[in-house]
Amino acid sequence: MKLLKKLPRRVLLFSWLSLVVAGTLGAAEKQPQSVQVSIGTILAGNQSDDFDVKLKGMEGQLKVLKYRSYRLLKQESQDVPWRGAKVFEIPGGRSLTVTPQEFQDNRVSMKVRLTQGQKPVLDTTVKIPNKGNFILGGPPHEGGVLVLSISAAAQ
Amino acid sequence: MNDCERMEDSIGPWLDGELSAAESELVRAHVTACARCGEARLRLETIDRALSSVLVAEAPKIEFASFWRELQQRIEQKTPWHKRLLERASDWTSAPTAAWAVPVLIAVLIAVLSYESYFPIRRSRNNFATVESIDSHGRNVALLREDESKTTVIWLYQNQEGDDEAAEETPPAGPAF
Repeated sequence: MKLLKKLPRRVLLFSWLSLVVAGTLGAAEKQPQSVQVSIGTILAGNQSDDFDVKLKGMEGQLKVLKYRSYRLLKQESQDVPWRGAKVFEIPGGRSLTVTPQEFQDNRVSMKVRLTQGQKPVLDTTVKIPNKGNFILGGPPHEGGVLVLSISAAAQ
Repeated sequence: MNDCERMEDSIGPWLDGELSAAESELVRAHVTACARCGEARLRLETIDRALSSVLVAEAPKIEFASFWRELQQRIEQKTPWHKRLLERASDWTSAPTAAWAVPVLIAVLIAVLSYESYFPIRRSRNNFATVESIDSHGRNVALLREDESKTTVIWLYQNQEGDDEAAEETPPAGPAF
């Protein structure tokens, strides 16, 4: 009899708990406010066998390019609002403009424009897994080539 | 109900000493004055005496030891584990307790359906960056996806016409993808 009296209160309490859990889980699906875009500028070459220890975390990715040496020239991170553009200065008078487009299915879609002075060099739209990256390489620099690691983390 | 009938009901409790002083005095006065109730009192006293003498005579003959022994045994007797389990299971599946199953089921469903968004890092589905559009403004470009390190590479090759400043530099040969 006592249990029967307590039951509605217990069920109500548990239902509230379920709602709180649902709310918390649902919040995970909400559109993030901004994207933290990080650009790592790496100089790759074949003049030595030096591998910058700061690049240890992405050694596996850089191996794909088959250069002998890799040196991190610059690492820059900026919070970029959705559909807002941010410009990253790249050595050699270049600049990289990143415009996050949308966050869907845990992937960040963004437009990336590489320019040399005023001239556009590359325009691309890339979808990368949240907290993942892609590599843009090839522009010549100081006897080697520039390799840009472009990563995005939704905030 | 007249006075005698009411008093007859009180004679028994009066003889047993269960009445208050005032009630006892009332009954005593009535029983003394009323012949019918006086007889009822005598009858009850006779029965009481007869029962008392029988009980006093027979009580020592009754064997209480075995009764207490059995009672003690039943108190100390342990229920087998499978019986306890069955009892508990029937408690849990009884209607009031089973009502818990509804919100529990809702919570489990929400947790299962939201698992991927809650632990996005664990999803294995397509960890590659995908290139949706690319315009290299007339330059040669290569696109590479490497499975082992899950790397996507966009590689710009040197413009043969040398239309930009950097083209004057001589880069090492392009990577052998």
